[in-house]
Amino acid sequence: MEDKPVHPYERMIGAIALLLNDGEFAATGTLSPIPAAGCLLAQHTHAPHLAPMIYGDPANRISEGLHEFFGFAQRGGIDVFFLSGIQIDQRGSINLSVIGDYGKPKLRLPGGAGSAMLYSLSRRTILFTMTHTKKLFVPKVDFVNATAFDGDVRTPWRRGGLSHVVTPLGVMKFDREKKRLALDYVFTGGTVAQVVDNTGFDLDVAGREIPVVDPLDGESLRVLRGPVLDKLRTIYPLVCRMVWG
Amino acid sequence: MTIRDDLKTVKDPYSGEDYVVVPPIVPDVAVIHGLKGDRFGGVTVLGARNDRLLATAARKTIAVVEALVEPDEVLPGLQEVYVAPLHIDAVVVAPGGAHPTACPGRYEADATHLSAYVAAAKDAAAFRAYLDTYIFGPADHDSYLDAVGFARP
Repeated sequence: MEDKPVHPYERMIGAIALLLNDGEFAATGTLSPIPAAGCLLAQHTHAPHLAPMIYGDPANRISEGLHEFFGFAQRGGIDVFFLSGIQIDQRGSINLSVIGDYGKPKLRLPGGAGSAMLYSLSRRTILFTMTHTKKLFVPKVDFVNATAFDGDVRTPWRRGGLSHVVTPLGVMKFDREKKRLALDYVFTGGTVAQVVDNTGFDLDVAGREIPVVDPLDGESLRVLRGPVLDKLRTIYPLVCRMVWG
Repeated sequence: MTIRDDLKTVKDPYSGEDYVVVPPIVPDVAVIHGLKGDRFGGVTVLGARNDRLLATAARKTIAVVEALVEPDEVLPGLQEVYVAPLHIDAVVVAPGGAHPTACPGRYEADATHLSAYVAAAKDAAAFRAYLDTYIFGPADHDSYLDAVGFARP
């Protein structure tokens, strides 16, 4: 298994782990196997006190349902949370509701659930995506479910906002001054041009040296394919079989 | 609030801040999936899901359960919570009733069946064939489980 080529999702897991600090309280929501693995990898390497709350983990039961989890977030319990979207734009807004016009959508999706609240109430949010295309990374989302920062209207409950976006090609960092995303680094095996070509907005790469980095060293890969994967299989069995067999 | 005229703002009497409020959702009928149930309507459901919340919100709730047990055996397990008969209008005993989705702890989601459903849903004729094979064809739930090849424990 050690010889199997590194899957892009494994590099994402490595990148997410590197973004997490020891002692933080990180939480993952539904359908979030990659962030869950990232939290577990961080916990098994540099952040033994990370204390991840992985929703759906049979060994970390909550009393009841998502509303309990949302209440905990409202109280200020979550340092880092993970969200995604069918569209993400340069300002870090995410869309989970409709493609096309809201009244006459081309595609109707389940909706934002707690994303708007969690994007505001967690101390920082990392976005993750399972693909990296121009359809996903658009100049402006068709519908805003949740925002990375407050605009003209200040929301009293805003506690944090966007920190990074992790994709199968690399990592974007949110520039708080410019209030926009910029390319941070590209994963080994990819190129800056490849990321730019597959992103529908400007990544602020002009005149900047963008490093190509492997966020997963040999030891991290061993830990990921060992204890992290063993644990992840108890939470996300189907996804694990699809990615790791 | 542009698209939802039922959302209003209220002033929080404690902080003085304006907040958007959402009216409660009251479903006419909720169908929830439980693990154990008794003939009086007491059931246990998975704690990680929002089934108890649904049952307490809906006007009528139908609980589909994996097993019918005696009332003193409707005890929450490791992953379960109890829902009182007060909130339950009917209990339907249907082992495998969550198929093709998962009933964690009992059986996983049927990925093969779900993929077939997704493929069929793209095309009207294929979807009609899907419905005939799996929904209208089987005479009862047992025949449905046979049709989809559900492995009974």
